[in-house]
Amino acid sequence: MISATTHVPASETDTTARGPLSLLILSAIKWLILSGLLSVIATIQLHKPSFLADCPLFTYGHIQALQETVFIYGWAANASFAVALWLLGRLSDAPLRGLGLLTVGTIFWNVGVTGGAIFILFGEATSIPFLQMPVYVHPLLLVSYAAIATPGVLAWTGRSTRATFATQWYAVAALFLFPWLYSVAQVMLLDAPVRGVTQAVVSAWFSSNLVSLWLLPIALAAAYYLVPKLSGRTLNNYHYAPHGFWTLIFFAAWNGARHLVGGPVPAWIPTLAIVSTALLLFHYLVIALNLRAGLTGGHGSNVLGFISLGLLAYLLGGVADVVFSFQHFAALIQFTYFPIAQLKLALLGAFSFPIFGALYYIVPRITGTAWPSAGLIRAHFGLSILGLVVTVASLAGAGWVQGQGLSEAGTSFVVIAARTKPWLMAATTGEGLLLLASLALGVNFIRLHAAACIGLVRSTIAMEGAAS
Amino acid sequence: MKNGPLFFLGIFAALALSWAGLALGPTAQLGGLAPYYDKGEDKAFPERSPGVASRGRLVYADLGCAACHTQEVRRPGFGDDQERKWGDRQSVARDYIHQDRVQLGQTRVGPDLTNYGARIEAAEKDPVRREQAVYNYLYRGTSAMPAYAFLFEENPANAQPSAKAVAREGDREIVPSARAEVLAAYLLSLKTVYDYPEAKPVVIAAEKEAEHK
Repeated sequence: MISATTHVPASETDTTARGPLSLLILSAIKWLILSGLLSVIATIQLHKPSFLADCPLFTYGHIQALQETVFIYGWAANASFAVALWLLGRLSDAPLRGLGLLTVGTIFWNVGVTGGAIFILFGEATSIPFLQMPVYVHPLLLVSYAAIATPGVLAWTGRSTRATFATQWYAVAALFLFPWLYSVAQVMLLDAPVRGVTQAVVSAWFSSNLVSLWLLPIALAAAYYLVPKLSGRTLNNYHYAPHGFWTLIFFAAWNGARHLVGGPVPAWIPTLAIVSTALLLFHYLVIALNLRAGLTGGHGSNVLGFISLGLLAYLLGGVADVVFSFQHFAALIQFTYFPIAQLKLALLGAFSFPIFGALYYIVPRITGTAWPSAGLIRAHFGLSILGLVVTVASLAGAGWVQGQGLSEAGTSFVVIAARTKPWLMAATTGEGLLLLASLALGVNFIRLHAAACIGLVRSTIAMEGAAS
Repeated sequence: MKNGPLFFLGIFAALALSWAGLALGPTAQLGGLAPYYDKGEDKAFPERSPGVASRGRLVYADLGCAACHTQEVRRPGFGDDQERKWGDRQSVARDYIHQDRVQLGQTRVGPDLTNYGARIEAAEKDPVRREQAVYNYLYRGTSAMPAYAFLFEENPANAQPSAKAVAREGDREIVPSARAEVLAAYLLSLKTVYDYPEAKPVVIAAEKEAEHK
């Protein structure tokens, strides 16, 4: 099954969108590597506060805000645009249109993120999770987004059949909901901030929906497309898929505020969030049923392996969200590293893994060139699994120890820091492995493009030779 | 699902519903929250923080302090915030009405700061030494918190040492910069000591029963 990534039948290759999609993917990988580096620095600072502390640019607050921004708006945004657009184009049975706009949008989006990142380093961060870039960057990103999403809209409206497939629902919903969420958050948190603690509620609504209604649906879209393709098996109980989709869209939108439990907000808000978190179990059940073929082993294919593990992380994360929203656990893990571990499981596992799988599948099909090194793909796969498990497990362990320390009033923060130190050092190792993993992806991607260029030059020379 | 417009309407309605609930709902419930006027003290609470503290709040945001420090005391039954002396009562929505950017925070790598000013006030009567305590903390850090030495500057020492100096080396002394001064003013202004009617602790029914037995 490795052949799925190394040898692509000519009939499946469509290089018309090669330039713009490669630009998106290249930008995504560049930001992923930077984000990995920043994660390593941030976890070192957690167990060794003096690390880089003398430089005002690199305080933990700055590094953490920067890492989060670079991951979401750099890696996740660019990669999910590329995957969503390719999937929509493929399912519309026609080449993508509006590619000029896509290129311009991509360039301006990445200029905006670069500017935002520099502003964060110089102390302009907003302290609002997932909306750290200063107020003047966001309008640029929103306009760029309109250009980037155009090919997706054209592919949806110009599709050859009226009937639609689950991949299209998830991808289109994600592309549609992102500007909705993003513009509302800009207005209600930055331009004309709502009053007092309502800010915390809106911020929780935004940051959780950004993950559960924008990023994760794109990973699911990729899984719905690739699991039947690669496993050679049909989707189980597909007639439940619409129910799973609408459960996610209706209930996930409410569950962000569960982290505000016990806080200075009206109690109905976290209560409603906890209820809707539990209702989402139905969505996870449908995903598990539909994509069972993808869950039962990768059959030696790294593409399917990435998707299987991503789905496992998605389901595990969903169940963990429910379990740890019960009051006994919620009070213990609140304000610890544990929710960070849950977030990492969602972002690095449930989102990134299926996207890696999709990139390994898509890139040869848009460039017409096979991945040059199967070894690097295997290295990426192995290091990613190891890195994810070590990072998430050790942060969860650190959070648990920290939560127990916090709940004993006599335990000082110096003691808690000493107790969490070994766990955080393990988390640094995990982040280091993930950085190496993304470097493997980066090197392979660059080599692929180098090979594609050489191929192009050779065929041109051959054609010129034939003409003369 | 074949009907495109209906599909979009569904997605739009789902998010609009949650937005109405979670953004408009609390705004309707809390948006009109006014300061509480206490006749006995002839003052309204919460009090507005002095200008220098508002500037300090910007430094707090700039450094990203909220990455490790929260500003909320949880209700009884959620952790031991009150046993840790972070506040005599839970935080309520009214505490935050004058803050243009609420920084509740998400992680407690360090202590909660809701009542940081009140805690230092209780421990140290002399206002100059209170400030000194904050400067020392910022300059030296702990094994759990980095030192923010870049917020301090070196000055030639006079015969009369500066009251704010955190260290002295020969004829030079280390004094807080303007940013450190406003940050300290902000941190010292952090207190939610007034008991609003809605902040009276809710005694859980089970606990009440246990007391009666």
